[in-house]
Amino acid sequence: MFGKKLQVSLYRYNPEEDKFPYMKKYTIDKPERDIMVLDLLHLLKEQDQSVSYRRSCREGVCGSDGMNINGKNGLACITPISSVIKRNKIELRPLPGLPVIRDLVVDMTEFYAQYEKIKPFLQNETTAPEQERLQSPEERDKLDGLYECILCACCSTSCPSFWWNPDKFVGPAALLQAYRFLADSRDLKTEERLDALSDPFSVYRCHGIMNCVNVCPKGLNPNKAIGEIKSMLHKNKKDIIASDRI
Amino acid sequence: MKGSMIWNLQRYSSLVILVYLVYVSSFIITTQGPISFFDWTKFFLSFQTRFFTSIACIFMLLHAYIGLWTVGTDYLTERTLGFLNKSLSKIANLMRKMYLFAFVMLGIVYLVVILYIIWI
Repeated sequence: MFGKKLQVSLYRYNPEEDKFPYMKKYTIDKPERDIMVLDLLHLLKEQDQSVSYRRSCREGVCGSDGMNINGKNGLACITPISSVIKRNKIELRPLPGLPVIRDLVVDMTEFYAQYEKIKPFLQNETTAPEQERLQSPEERDKLDGLYECILCACCSTSCPSFWWNPDKFVGPAALLQAYRFLADSRDLKTEERLDALSDPFSVYRCHGIMNCVNVCPKGLNPNKAIGEIKSMLHKNKKDIIASDRI
Repeated sequence: MKGSMIWNLQRYSSLVILVYLVYVSSFIITTQGPISFFDWTKFFLSFQTRFFTSIACIFMLLHAYIGLWTVGTDYLTERTLGFLNKSLSKIANLMRKMYLFAFVMLGIVYLVVILYIIWI
């Protein structure tokens, strides 16, 4: 299926030993069957114990193994090599735009700082009912396509606006979550949330180039969520809040 | 300034420029036969054309400033220039301010010259 040998070009960088990052070529025997990129990394690890990468659930749920595979961000554990291989070659790099700790492991501090900024939790100061805060099926439907995000950072690190301003632009992943709480009928801090996003950078640095949609391994649409946030920011906030309460 | 205001300014200014282009194009398209120097002068010396040209120029400069400010705050920052060179990173903010200042000065000169040509 893939020829006899598979060539893997891997981004290597160990700040304790290397002055600069470099690409190292590995050749491995062709797999008997189609395997995931993460399995390929395990095979590489058998060859070279010093190869570093993050992984955990190996089934696209934890979001640990986001990386750049042949130029496109994705999760190694759910990306079959048959879907990315080109002329028997695969190039693996860390997620772009974030500082590299070692090899494919990146420092996610800036990404999580933006996530923290949008206050990703339900804010409702009214007295909690005995069991739970109820929603109608229609209200619950609004959260579909939003809550599924696993924070793998594939979208934010494929966004040039996030590369240039990771401290000011919230980024597609966190904005998807911001809209998840703006759309939630149980959350009562709509005005405060919109105020926090109203500056020229937080949301408006998104120019809608759709890289986020193109790479999301869960098939989500952060660009649509960002559009919804922009619509909310343009409308009269009081109207939005009033319609939330009805 | 609010992000939505900048967003609106950029969109509405482009609409003003579009309307102006349609206005000038409609003159060119609807004029019978070849446009003479007299036709051209009469059109551009009319009050409404002078007024529309002035408005379109102001909005064009506003539109361009927002675009260039966006480019400057993307590429002329400590972080972005730091990818190229660490010493460039140290003067990135100064470079961006100079870049915007130069454009504002150029824009003001451009506007003054245009308004002078149109009205005086």
